[in-house]
Amino acid sequence: MNGSTSIGRLASASCVALAVCGLLGSSVAVANDKLIELSESNENYVMPGKDYTGDNYSKLDQINTDNVKDLKVSWTFSTGLLNGHEGTPLVVDGVMYINSSFPNNVYALDLDNPGKIKWQYKPKQNPAARSVACCDLVNRGLAYWPGDDKTPALIISNQLDGNVVALKAEDGSLYWKVENSDIKVGSTLTVAPYVVKDLVIVGSSGAELGVRGYATAYNAHDGSQVWRMYATGPDADIGIGDDFNKDNPQYGQKGLGLATWEGDAWKIGGGTNWGWYAYDPDLELLYYGSGNPSPWNETMRPGDNKWTMTMMARDIDSGELKWGYQKTPHDEWDYAGVNVMMLSDQKDKDGNMRKLVTHPDRNGIIYTLDRTNGDLVSADFLDDTVNVWTHVDMKTGIPVRDPEYGTRMDHKGKDICPSAMGYHDQAHDSYDPEKELFYLAINHICMDWEPFMLPYRAGQFFVGATLSMYPGPKGDRQNYLGLGQVKAYNAISGKYDWSVMERFAAWGGTLATAGDLVFYGTLDGYFKARNSANGELLWKFKMPSGAIGYPMTYEHDGTQYVGIYYGVGGWPGVGLVFDLDDPTAGLGAVGAFRNLQNWTQQGGGLLVFSLNGKGPYDDPTLDEYTTEIIRQ
Amino acid sequence: MKLTAKATGAVLATAAALLISTAGAFAYDGTNCKAPGNCWEPKPGYPEKVKGSKYDPKHDPEELAKQGNSIKEMEARNAARTKHFQETGEWVYDVDKL
Repeated sequence: MNGSTSIGRLASASCVALAVCGLLGSSVAVANDKLIELSESNENYVMPGKDYTGDNYSKLDQINTDNVKDLKVSWTFSTGLLNGHEGTPLVVDGVMYINSSFPNNVYALDLDNPGKIKWQYKPKQNPAARSVACCDLVNRGLAYWPGDDKTPALIISNQLDGNVVALKAEDGSLYWKVENSDIKVGSTLTVAPYVVKDLVIVGSSGAELGVRGYATAYNAHDGSQVWRMYATGPDADIGIGDDFNKDNPQYGQKGLGLATWEGDAWKIGGGTNWGWYAYDPDLELLYYGSGNPSPWNETMRPGDNKWTMTMMARDIDSGELKWGYQKTPHDEWDYAGVNVMMLSDQKDKDGNMRKLVTHPDRNGIIYTLDRTNGDLVSADFLDDTVNVWTHVDMKTGIPVRDPEYGTRMDHKGKDICPSAMGYHDQAHDSYDPEKELFYLAINHICMDWEPFMLPYRAGQFFVGATLSMYPGPKGDRQNYLGLGQVKAYNAISGKYDWSVMERFAAWGGTLATAGDLVFYGTLDGYFKARNSANGELLWKFKMPSGAIGYPMTYEHDGTQYVGIYYGVGGWPGVGLVFDLDDPTAGLGAVGAFRNLQNWTQQGGGLLVFSLNGKGPYDDPTLDEYTTEIIRQ
Repeated sequence: MKLTAKATGAVLATAAALLISTAGAFAYDGTNCKAPGNCWEPKPGYPEKVKGSKYDPKHDPEELAKQGNSIKEMEARNAARTKHFQETGEWVYDVDKL
């Protein structure tokens, strides 16, 4: 492991060091242990990103570089819905849980016989929710809470209409249901819930409609609200106390949620969090990023607009913000800072072991911070074509802007890289702790941008910019192809071991395995496996539709399976999904992805692969109505 | 001659002003901080405060209050649901039926 270790092992190590966990029966450790224990089994996939590190790395090596050519479909499942299918299924104790696009159906399949749907939950939602979703009717997945002697195991699902539902994992019946977001003010939910201890963490969406972002913790037992913290406004609302950023006061400390805004603009200031979470059980810190400030028109909101665009570390029990690093002060490009957080333990350049969090941002920079206190360890460009920044000042943490690529009223900014879609978006990437490499699903899209004035009306879009987007300098700008990259990155050296161009943005994310493989799906409908050491393409499969989720893997009855959703959509798919032609429609995505329709159409479902397609129906009599044959 | 000199001077002054303003137009690079974590500067030609300027968003306070009110109402409904659940063990979503 080269000193790297899973969070589970960290937790165990700390228990050994303290030598009191078991004896004193620390409720903290116990409450965490069940999910950590489940996540350590190769037979489970219990949360987004696989375990609390969010590294989406599996120790399974049954499928490896030697035999991946024999990977074939074992079984499939259609969700019965179109639109983008994001996220990935969960597997717990032999049952797979599947999420879908709006109206956010949930399906449970028994892995011994996935042809029979064990239970299904089909929510009735106000169809008006569709009209306030900025970027397709997507949903990033489910969460699992393991249950205790008081309360049964639960599957948690966030709905586009703003409700959070807890379903009994056993039969799918509703256990509790609360309102987290109100579509009447433009607030929706697409983020996957996240379970830590007995808390369900829920994010928010709607910065394109001026929604002030917040994250909420609910008690899994009864749905009661434990804490709710905002991205902008008074310190108390944000969870800023006396020790906030104590080790890095240069990042800013008190009062900035108001002082970096003019007047009451923070009340509609954005900063929603709809990406991914990670958690360190030793530090008891939850990591996530807040999104872009509202509106996109920078001239209408002078100031640094804190604490939008911020890598946040919150105390899990109180929600208090321990440290916060604003990556993009006064955003001018919609670089919503919500992307994936991946935890690792590595030696820094001075040879010191560090507990790290690595985060590839929309703004073209991949950040690695010390996750204990927020110290900046590295900040590298995702690609050398990034031009909005000259560099990040490592001492102050300030990204130094190239004013030529800023945006402002009465001006059309051109050839700005990255575009608003970022050089990285909602992709859930992976990290191989053996190789100490991050496998990054990257976009290669640049843009022209011109803001315009507009009023704020609750429930209406509040964007205020017109965009044209197109392939970056390394793509094919004449033919609108070459919009993505996949890269292997070392966070300490800052080096990319390998990189490869993709026809379209690598939107969904990656899975890394001990079989020296990195898997990912593409928008043009391929599921690919590369040698994670050198990037060589070893295998691919043509799916029914493009992928915008990330792959997962699990073992069942001794066989390793790899699963991935198909069903193109999300922001890159809005032109195709809603049949739009104007290149500036879909917040500028329609023009960039004008060719997507020549490779894929909509879909919605799951593909599960294994070596030679081994699976439950190798015995064809399984799930037959009858095996009796009547011959004349 | 005097006139020319004057004109030249004016031209030079204008040119200098242009230079300053051009240089200024590219001045906001994020590194000049009023305080830690507060490094925004207006771009040249753009106001320090937008209120009263041609870029005044003229936000309606009633509209700005809507989200806060909506959250308060949702929290109250949720609290009623949870209370009923804790007391009865039965989850009722429709608050009118509580």
